[in-house]
Amino acid sequence: MSLLARYVALRMASACLTLFGVAILIFASIHALPGSFEEVLVPQATQELRDQIAERYGLDKPIVEQFGLWLARAVQGDLGVSLITQEPVTAEFRRRLPVTAEIAGIATLIAIVIGVPLGILAGLSSHRRFVPGLSRLVGGLAMSVPDFVIGTVLLYYFSRYSLWLTVGDWVPFAEDPIANLRAALLPALSLSLLGIGLVMATARHATISILGQDFIMAAMARGKTPYTVVHQHVLRNAGIPVITILAIYSGYLLGGTIIVEMLFSVPGIGRYLIFGVLNRDYPVVQAGVLLAAAVFILLNMLADVLYAVLDPRLAGGRGQ
Amino acid sequence: MKLPFANDRLSQAGTLVLLLLIALGVFAPLLPIGDPEAIGAGPRLSPPSTEFPLGTDNLGRPMMARIFEGILLTFVLSTIAVLIAGVVGAVIGMIAAYVHHVLDEVISRFADMLFSFPPVLLGLLVTTILAPGIQSAIAAIVLITLPAMVRVVRAATLEVARRDFVVVAEVVGASFGRRLFLHLFPNVAGVVAVQTAYSISLGMLIESALSFLGLGVQPPNASLGSLMREGATYLEIAPWLAFGPGAFLAAAILSVNLFGDGLRAVVDPLEPRPLQ
Repeated sequence: MSLLARYVALRMASACLTLFGVAILIFASIHALPGSFEEVLVPQATQELRDQIAERYGLDKPIVEQFGLWLARAVQGDLGVSLITQEPVTAEFRRRLPVTAEIAGIATLIAIVIGVPLGILAGLSSHRRFVPGLSRLVGGLAMSVPDFVIGTVLLYYFSRYSLWLTVGDWVPFAEDPIANLRAALLPALSLSLLGIGLVMATARHATISILGQDFIMAAMARGKTPYTVVHQHVLRNAGIPVITILAIYSGYLLGGTIIVEMLFSVPGIGRYLIFGVLNRDYPVVQAGVLLAAAVFILLNMLADVLYAVLDPRLAGGRGQ
Repeated sequence: MKLPFANDRLSQAGTLVLLLLIALGVFAPLLPIGDPEAIGAGPRLSPPSTEFPLGTDNLGRPMMARIFEGILLTFVLSTIAVLIAGVVGAVIGMIAAYVHHVLDEVISRFADMLFSFPPVLLGLLVTTILAPGIQSAIAAIVLITLPAMVRVVRAATLEVARRDFVVVAEVVGASFGRRLFLHLFPNVAGVVAVQTAYSISLGMLIESALSFLGLGVQPPNASLGSLMREGATYLEIAPWLAFGPGAFLAAAILSVNLFGDGLRAVVDPLEPRPLQ
C-alpha cells in the first residue's frame, strides 16, 4: 500500500473513532436527565402514561441498548422522530440541508476570494510603513465583529433602503436562481467576515515566511518576475496554512449559520435546531449536534488528507 | 517608566480601550447616565440626543446605562468561565503530559472529542440540558475553551517535563503536587496567560451569540448579546437599540484580542505572530 493510502486509511479510522466518542457524549448527556422525554410530551402525566411513552420511545430498555439502537438507526439514516411535530427528523434535515450548505459554501467562497489576495498583497508589501499595522487592524476587526452584529447592520440597511438583496423570502435555487442568490447573499456576507479575517491573516503570515526562504531568493536571482514567483511559489506554499484555517473556520460556520438563519429567516437546519433547543425536542437536538460534529470531523479529515497530497512528507511522517 | 507592549502601538491602544471599557462597566452606577432599570426615565424609543446619548429603549430606559451594565456582565461571565477552564485545563494538561502514557492518551482523546463539536453547537447541547440562563452560558464557555487550553498546556509541559531541574526535584523526593505547581507550572504560566486572553474573547463571542439567540442571559439581566436581541425587535424603527450594544461588543472583543497579541509577544518573543 502506498504511503498516502496508508495515511488516509489511518486518518479515516481515527476520525470514525472520534465520531463514535462524540456520539456517546451526545447521547449520554441528553439521557442523563431522567424523565426528560415525558416532561416535554406531557408535563403532568400519570405514571401509566409515562410508562407508555417510555415503552414507545424505548426508554425502558437498558441505556447501552438504547444507545446501540439509536446509533444503528442513525448510521442507516434514521435520526428518529421529532417529539413536537412527530415528523421524521431525517426528512426535515434532507429538505433543509441544501439551504444551509449553500449559505456556508458562498461564505467560504467569499472568504477565499477576498481573503487570499488581500493577505498575499499585505504580505508582499509588509516592508511599507503602515501596511503591517493596517492589515493587522483590518484583520483583527474582521475577526472581532460577531456575525450577528454585522448581520443586524446589513439587515437594517438592506431592508430600509430596499437595495437589491432580499431578506426573509427564501426561494429554492431550482425555482429561480437569481432570487435564490438575492436571498442567500446577505446571510453569507455576514458569515464571511470572520473567514475573510482568518484567511487574510493566515495568507499574509504565510507569504511573509515564504518570502524569507532561500528558494525565493534563488528564483529572483534566476530573473523570475515577481508575478511568476507569487504564482509558482507563494500560492502553492500558502495553500497548507490556508486549508488549515478553513477547516477551523468551517466549525464556526456550522454554528454561525444557525445565527444568521434566525436573523434572516432562512429555512435551513439552524432554525430547525434552535426551535428544537427552545422546545427541548431532544431527538432533533441530538441529531443536529451529531450531524454538525460529523461534518466538522469529516472536513478536518479532508483537510489533513489534502495537506498530505500537497506535501507528501506529511503522510510519511505522521503515518509511521 | 516603560509602558508594557513597547513598540506595539496597536496592542497598547487595545489594552487602553479594554481598561476603559472595564472601568465604564465597573463605575457605571456612579456616572451621571441614569439608572438602567428606571422604566420611563425618558420618552420611549427616543433616538440618541444630548440627554440620552445612546437613545432610550422601548420602556424609556436610558440605553447608555443599560449598555455599560451589559459590558460588565459580558466581561464577568466570560472571565469567570475562562478562569474555570484555565485552572482545570492547566491541571489536566500538566498531568497528562507529566504522568504520560495511558492517562495522557485518555485525556488527549477526550480533548479531541470536545474539540470536534463546532463551538456554538456545543453551547446548544448544554442549553438543552441545563435550560437557558447564565449557568448554561458559563458551562458552555468552559466546555468550548477547555480542550484548547488542555492541548496548549500539554504541549508546553512536554517541553519542560524532561528538563534537569524537574528530574532533580523528582530524585530528591519532592512530592507530586510540589513538582507540578512549583516546578512545572511557572514554566507553562505564560502560555496559560496567552491562551486565557484569547479564550476570554472567544467566550465573549459564544456568550453573546447564545444570548442573542435567547439561550444565554435572560431578562432582567442584560449582557451585550441579550441587549442586541431586544434591540433587533425594534430594528426598523429604532436601530440604535441594536447598533449601540453591537458596536461596544465589537470594540470589547477587538480590544481583548489586541491585548492577547501583546501578551503573546511578551511571553513568546521569538514566535512570529500570526496577526503581525
